[in-house]
Amino acid sequence: MECDTCQAALEARLDGELTADEAREIDRHLAICPACARQFATLGETRRVVSENAMRYNAPDVLKARIRGAVARASSPTVSVATRRTFRWWREVAAGVAIAIVSSGITLVAANRSAGRSSAADELLASHVRSLMPGHLTDVLSTQQHTVKPWFNGRVDLSPAVPNLDKAGFPLIGGRADYVRGRVVPVVVYGRRQHMINVYAWPSSSAGGSPPDDLSRNGYHFVTWRSGGIEYWAVSDLNAAELHTFVAMFVAAH
Amino acid sequence: MNEGDSDLQRFERVVLPHLDDAYTLARYLLRDEHDAQDVVQEASLRALRYFDGYSGGDARAWLLAIVRNCSLTWRKRRRVDDRTVPFEDAAPISTSEAEAPDAAVMHASEQARVQQAIESLPDEFREVIVLREVQDLSYREIGDVVGVPIGTVMSRLARARKRLAVLLQIDAREAS
Repeated sequence: MECDTCQAALEARLDGELTADEAREIDRHLAICPACARQFATLGETRRVVSENAMRYNAPDVLKARIRGAVARASSPTVSVATRRTFRWWREVAAGVAIAIVSSGITLVAANRSAGRSSAADELLASHVRSLMPGHLTDVLSTQQHTVKPWFNGRVDLSPAVPNLDKAGFPLIGGRADYVRGRVVPVVVYGRRQHMINVYAWPSSSAGGSPPDDLSRNGYHFVTWRSGGIEYWAVSDLNAAELHTFVAMFVAAH
Repeated sequence: MNEGDSDLQRFERVVLPHLDDAYTLARYLLRDEHDAQDVVQEASLRALRYFDGYSGGDARAWLLAIVRNCSLTWRKRRRVDDRTVPFEDAAPISTSEAEAPDAAVMHASEQARVQQAIESLPDEFREVIVLREVQDLSYREIGDVVGVPIGTVMSRLARARKRLAVLLQIDAREAS
């Protein structure tokens, strides 16, 4: 073997990128060529010194927290991908919330079709959009129903269903207590791709159950149903069909 | 891949395990702690956004590729002037004047020398050295991350190591 050929392969020999046959051939040449052998030794020593002494950094916790926050924000429908200027982002969200509230107010005046349901939807829409602001989505962040369900004890006066819908592709994200329609209510949060689904629950005025009913507003979809004396509302920017699938799974699972 | 993952879950599952490596690469490429944090954040979000395009395979190499691209964009945007030293000017980096007898101090000074040597490499050499010696990627993976053929990876590594040997005054004549 020529020295040129050998030297061209020294890096690959050192990095274990040669086949066994190729490596043997190089080694045979190194055994009889002091010049190539010295070059190989220098390379090996360089590699050792560098890899043993080069710094490995740990990502700071504050960075992890920042990214978590940004991921939650980026999942919000009112916001494009987060920029590093937080203040600008906050303004965008605040504007998003204001737009949602004002335009639903206009809708309400224009088409006062079913006052009770409509005003509930308005409040829920505002609450849903607000929940997507950083740090507002969940009070308890857990994918475990056994963690989320007991968390509501003592915080709200009813115990909402918290079915596990992982297998159906709706992972549990967590829960929070929110103030809607004049009372503190439990909200269970599920995810679907980038979308969040907030499920609100409060005591129903009539006992028993009722099949799901839906409406949509400003690109958000609402599905409401009654079960076991509790009135549920699922709110999301997910498309209506998938939200109905979610509700069907939810109802079937509890 | 789990279809129903939320972004947050995807972050925990795909990005978080490699965040230290992502941050390390960004630190070396940008040579600035704060820039590195911003770039890793941007890269993580981008990774989640383009997650559908991720074909499986090594998630770490995939994430590092995104970190590298974001770092390049970042540098261009900020017009960080190239702080690399031309090869002709490269001078060996000496240990501190006083000979340190303490092993820990020796080790610290060796780390500082190596750090200085790596940081003085031109960008295209520095990235392959970091991906190889610090992140332990294969040639193929380095080629994928940097977007060059394996032959180019090899020649850059060879030149980078030659240069490091000069900077760190490593010569097998003395070693053996």
